[in-house]
Amino acid sequence: MPSAPVPASVSAEPLIQVEKFNYAYGDHQVLFDLDLNMRSTDVTALIGPSGCGKSTLLRAINRINDLVDSARVVSGRIRVDGVDLYAPEVDVISLRRNVGMVFQKYNPFPRSIFENAVYGLRVAGIKNRHDLEEAAERSLRSAALWDEVKDRLHEMATGLSGGQQQRLCIARAIALRPRILLMDEPCAALDPIATARIEELILQLRHEYTFIIVTHNMEQARRIADRTAFFYKGRLVEEQDTMKLFTAPDDPLTESYVTGRLT
Amino acid sequence: MDSSDLPRRPELRNLIIRNRKRTILGFDPQQIIKYFFGANASTAVIVLVLIMIFLVREGVDFLPTNRHELQTYRQAGLEFCDLVDRPLREHQTLSSSLRQCVSAALEPIVKDARERRNAAFLLKTQAEEKAARQREALENALEREPPPAEDQLAALRKDLQTAAAAASQALIYPSLFTAEETALFKAQLAALSPELTDLPPFIQALSAEFMTQDRAAREKYADLVTAQEEFDEAPDDLHELVDELKEQALGAKQSVEESHALAVNRQQLLEAAETTADPDEKASLIKEAEASVGEEVDLTALTKELTARTGELQTQIAAYVESAEKAAASLPDDVGTPDAAALLQKAKKGLPAHVQDMREAATALESWRVDKPVSMLRVIGAFFFGTEWITNSSWQDFFGFVPLLTGSVVIALIAVFIATPISVIAAIYTNQFATDREKELIKPVIEFIQAIPSVVLGFIGISLVGDLIKEFSEVSWLQWIPGFPIQERLNMFNAGCLLAFMAVPTMFSLSEDALNNVPRGYIDASDALGATKLQTVFRVIVPAGISGILSAVLLGLGRVIGETMVVLLVAGNRIAIPDFSAGPGVVFQPAHTLTGIIAQELGEVSRGSSHWQALFMVGIVLFTISLLVNWCARAVARRFESQKA
Repeated sequence: MPSAPVPASVSAEPLIQVEKFNYAYGDHQVLFDLDLNMRSTDVTALIGPSGCGKSTLLRAINRINDLVDSARVVSGRIRVDGVDLYAPEVDVISLRRNVGMVFQKYNPFPRSIFENAVYGLRVAGIKNRHDLEEAAERSLRSAALWDEVKDRLHEMATGLSGGQQQRLCIARAIALRPRILLMDEPCAALDPIATARIEELILQLRHEYTFIIVTHNMEQARRIADRTAFFYKGRLVEEQDTMKLFTAPDDPLTESYVTGRLT
Repeated sequence: MDSSDLPRRPELRNLIIRNRKRTILGFDPQQIIKYFFGANASTAVIVLVLIMIFLVREGVDFLPTNRHELQTYRQAGLEFCDLVDRPLREHQTLSSSLRQCVSAALEPIVKDARERRNAAFLLKTQAEEKAARQREALENALEREPPPAEDQLAALRKDLQTAAAAASQALIYPSLFTAEETALFKAQLAALSPELTDLPPFIQALSAEFMTQDRAAREKYADLVTAQEEFDEAPDDLHELVDELKEQALGAKQSVEESHALAVNRQQLLEAAETTADPDEKASLIKEAEASVGEEVDLTALTKELTARTGELQTQIAAYVESAEKAAASLPDDVGTPDAAALLQKAKKGLPAHVQDMREAATALESWRVDKPVSMLRVIGAFFFGTEWITNSSWQDFFGFVPLLTGSVVIALIAVFIATPISVIAAIYTNQFATDREKELIKPVIEFIQAIPSVVLGFIGISLVGDLIKEFSEVSWLQWIPGFPIQERLNMFNAGCLLAFMAVPTMFSLSEDALNNVPRGYIDASDALGATKLQTVFRVIVPAGISGILSAVLLGLGRVIGETMVVLLVAGNRIAIPDFSAGPGVVFQPAHTLTGIIAQELGEVSRGSSHWQALFMVGIVLFTISLLVNWCARAVARRFESQKA
């Protein structure tokens, strides 16, 4: 783990490079010839109708789909900081510690708030009480949750409100100080106020982490993303500067989707 | 378009008002179907309630019946006799361990002589058997009237001689005898004939040798031998007196019971007479009832005879106590072998307590009152805390269910102790690590266990598991395990193993369900945070499923407690509280169980007797235990669920 949040290097080289990536569940191919670059300084939003493969791409980046027996890479590769993710020398456990993930349905463990915040550190083998407490406070502060929970750290996390639980999940992910945070529709189960707080949080943290967000909410993509990629039926249709994609897309398919006319 | 062009539709108000009510026999069909389904659903509840009512109705009379029995037990003076008789029974155990101690002490000295003597006797029998045909022929000839001619007899004698000589040559002589002795003995065996009445001189010599050795050994341990003999004979007078009193009390009890039976009969006849319409029959019934009157038994007089001898009893007890103490004091410290020393130690430890018990019995005799009523509390206590389950006794039946409960509980605990790790670990493996093909194999196989008839498992327990445990218990490097080598093949551990096997499917399936129900989100989150598979299993999945696993274990326990056939066949069926002083080795002792006793005895008792009612009481307790265990399983599941939510 790095000693301090290293600001993402502003280099021409993109942090994540997806090259001719084909991905399948068994015989059912879900991603076709994907080419996509994501820079470390950007918040990237992935949009598209359900089943277009955007979540699959997200789950391929931290290789959590490995746990699905039938999932496999057909061809192509994903490079993160130049390393091919599916090369045999990649340590999946270390990869996941450095590429955090937040899920659609907030899913804190049925334990105390504190234990949730430090779970990643505990499984990484850190036992020192002081280190754990420090990390818990830091990550809960980063997730803008500290003031709300500091007096009840040892109560069950499941007693929090939905928005708080989702922020706890973000805190849990950033306690490991990952470089990249993958968010799979993080606000889908939240009300507008809680959603606003999460979006605010993403904007606050965007300089420390590279965000990749899957969302169905186009307003959300517009509000928080620098670049937006539109997927349709397993293919990347267009990847653009967010403002341009929503106002003057190159592809007519994109235009009909963002204006709600895609049938 | 003009609205008048549209086809005319009926008025809405006519459509929404029901014009014709459809009914079946005056009922709304929807309601009938609902009640039909409801009735099916409630059948289980109704049957359960009926079972409870039935059990309670049969069992609850046990208390008054048993109270009456205990009342008789007291009034007829049986209790009085038991005051002395019970502590006196300890004498038998102590005396037998002293006797064993004596033989263990003598053993090393007399062993050789005894073995030589026994071997010689064995050889003689074998030699006689080998020449049996010729021997019988000669015997018959000798007995015949008139006696056969001398030359015939001579021929028979010659035959026998040849046969006996051949037999004595063919025998295998053990190395206990020297070559000289063997030759001598061989000659004597060859000369065996029915006309000789004395034993062969060699055997006589060996017997004499044994007697000398035995005498010498007894002299060496004279202290021990005399102490043992004295102690053995010490209670003879007391026994005689107690037996006399017991006979008297038993006679009193029988006459009370007879008169009670007559009274009951009379009551029944009178009741029958009241319900009969026919005046003739009524008159005859009443007449019969009048006749059914026993003599009034004067119990006070009878028991006074008993209590009058309190003084005599006390004197005898004092005499016994004195000689027992004297014997205890004269026991030596050194008895040679370690076996004998252990037995001696046991006796020495038991003796003071026994003496104390006897003294207390002597005082208890004075405070015993025949007219003290037996309280209901005592009856309940006698059932729930009674340590004896004695039935069909000529003296007095006792229905104490502690030995049965102990058996059931110990067996169930053994089973759960064995089954829990196996099924939970199997469930974790199947749920988390097994490939789909392995799952397809493991799950049906484990679930198939449930389909094995328990009586078949009983066979396996008797023939296979029992022998296996016995063999293992005799392996020399396993002797550190408490209780090894075991005495009984059929014991609680054997039953526990088989019940564990029967509980595995329940525990496994329910634990597996519990693990399956762990939300996918927890597992994803843990994986995404860089946990390894094992970390996810033990930090997230098992804790999240723990309520289900615990409730699975409890339901397994419920299944095990209620199981009958296996325990009946395999547990050994000894009605006694296992000796817990043996430590963990206690599991290798036989026991009887709540379920086993019902299955075994219910078919043999007469309906409505106190024994019958006692078995129903056991049934009620069993039912209650099962209900409690199941309720706990649900409560555990619910409690942890609500924490999670």
